[in-house]
Amino acid sequence: MDQYSLPPKPKNAFMKRIRNIVIAIAVVALYIWTFTSIDIDWGRAIERSLNNFQRVIPKLFSPDWGALGEVSLSMLETVFIAFAGSLMAAIIAVPLAFLAANNMMGKYFSIIGKWILSAIRAFPDLILAILFVVAVGPNAFAGVLAIAIGSTGMLGKMFSEIIESIDMQVVEAMQANGANRIQILFYAVLPQIIPEFLSYAIYRFEVDIRASSILGIVGAGGIGTMIIFAANNRNWNEMGMILLAIIVVVTIIDFASAKIRQKIV
Amino acid sequence: MIEFKDVSLVYPNGTQGLKNINVTIKDGEFVVIVGLSGAGKSTFIRSINRLVTPTSGSLLVDNEDILTFKGKDLRKLRTKTGMIFQNYNLVKRSSVLKNVLAGRLGHVGTVRSILNMYSKEDLSLAYESLKRVNIEEKIYNRADELSGGQQQRVSIARVLTQQPKYILADEPVASLDPPTSHQVMTYLKKINKEDGITTIVNLHFIDMAMEYADRIIGMRGGEIVFDGPASEVSEKTFEEIYGRSIREEDKIGGADKS
Repeated sequence: MDQYSLPPKPKNAFMKRIRNIVIAIAVVALYIWTFTSIDIDWGRAIERSLNNFQRVIPKLFSPDWGALGEVSLSMLETVFIAFAGSLMAAIIAVPLAFLAANNMMGKYFSIIGKWILSAIRAFPDLILAILFVVAVGPNAFAGVLAIAIGSTGMLGKMFSEIIESIDMQVVEAMQANGANRIQILFYAVLPQIIPEFLSYAIYRFEVDIRASSILGIVGAGGIGTMIIFAANNRNWNEMGMILLAIIVVVTIIDFASAKIRQKIV
Repeated sequence: MIEFKDVSLVYPNGTQGLKNINVTIKDGEFVVIVGLSGAGKSTFIRSINRLVTPTSGSLLVDNEDILTFKGKDLRKLRTKTGMIFQNYNLVKRSSVLKNVLAGRLGHVGTVRSILNMYSKEDLSLAYESLKRVNIEEKIYNRADELSGGQQQRVSIARVLTQQPKYILADEPVASLDPPTSHQVMTYLKKINKEDGITTIVNLHFIDMAMEYADRIIGMRGGEIVFDGPASEVSEKTFEEIYGRSIREEDKIGGADKS
């Protein structure tokens, strides 16, 4: 076989190397600066966690099976909150996505739609949950609303990117045979986007299960309420049970979601 | 009848797509437009169904100036001019049947079409169209399960289902291998003869143009540089159209089709 020598590298490699070194120094300096200014008492932190590890960890591994009934009910509520919330989000996100996609309603609507979506995405789920607990009271409905609004931002953005990536030549072909805008939507656009939309909605449901298990901490329903009580009471056996429930449910749903999404696309 | 009267088109970026085009295409003709890429073939063909809009002159289709058409008039014009694309432009995830029925969209009401409530006539027309291009056994397959040549035949069936008066084919064989290309051109020619549908095809293979065309229009730089019956055309004519000598890649070969 012939031996090839690679062509010489571009000339500005030296400048590039200098630039990379400067960036590396800046990043390291940033880390040092942040860690020194947080003011952590390392000695105390390590001693305390070693102590707690001995007390807490073994209890977490011997879950309190007596709490199984209560924990399952609460976990079920968490799943329901996630399901209702992500379903609501998947519906609200569709019109917003069409608004935000730059190949559907024109440039100006697209800018407005993108602004709305990023404004929604700016709030973490937990902040939304606090707001809705104040607005509708400390119950699961607050959790559903928090999940719905939180997921709308992300799903809307994903959906609009899916719409932007469709094959516009198919749209052109429909235009060329005399179809009107609604017919083009149903014949050229929807068949291209629906499978991806479903796939992302299911994925978001998976994420929302995790998100909704924490919402109870601020009183928005679900298993988070039990977590905060168990932690406050130092009831680590019950905490172990709760964590076990979360792990089992999240794993099952991850697995099912992956299988379903494989089938769809 | 299609009449170009002093039609010019300048794109927003300043490119001159068409330059003072004057040409008349009579009903029932099979016209092949030849020229190198960038010669204006695509712009010419897309002006006829207004996928692009010429900036000056007048373009008459059946004695109506279509350059002013909007909304409903435009959809009516497009309903009677079917189009075939280089990339077939089928909805890949939909069935062959649904793709072919899309040809009826201009004829069928909005509500009926989105609810999939097609009349028996429409359905049998779709099936007959598939039969005419010998692909009826794939009717329930998804479009992306088909080969390129099969997909192009489905797109011909879609145009047939549209029952157009004119067929515009924009480089219909540019993505196909030689034998499949000849097959597709043969179908187009057959439809032109049997149904009397005026057909305008863009090609850049000279041997193919000579074999299938009744009339050849040569374009270069947005202008028509040759217009005459295919029988008067020789390689010399193509050298004039292309402005250079003919090379091997200008021919598709495989003309002795099976």
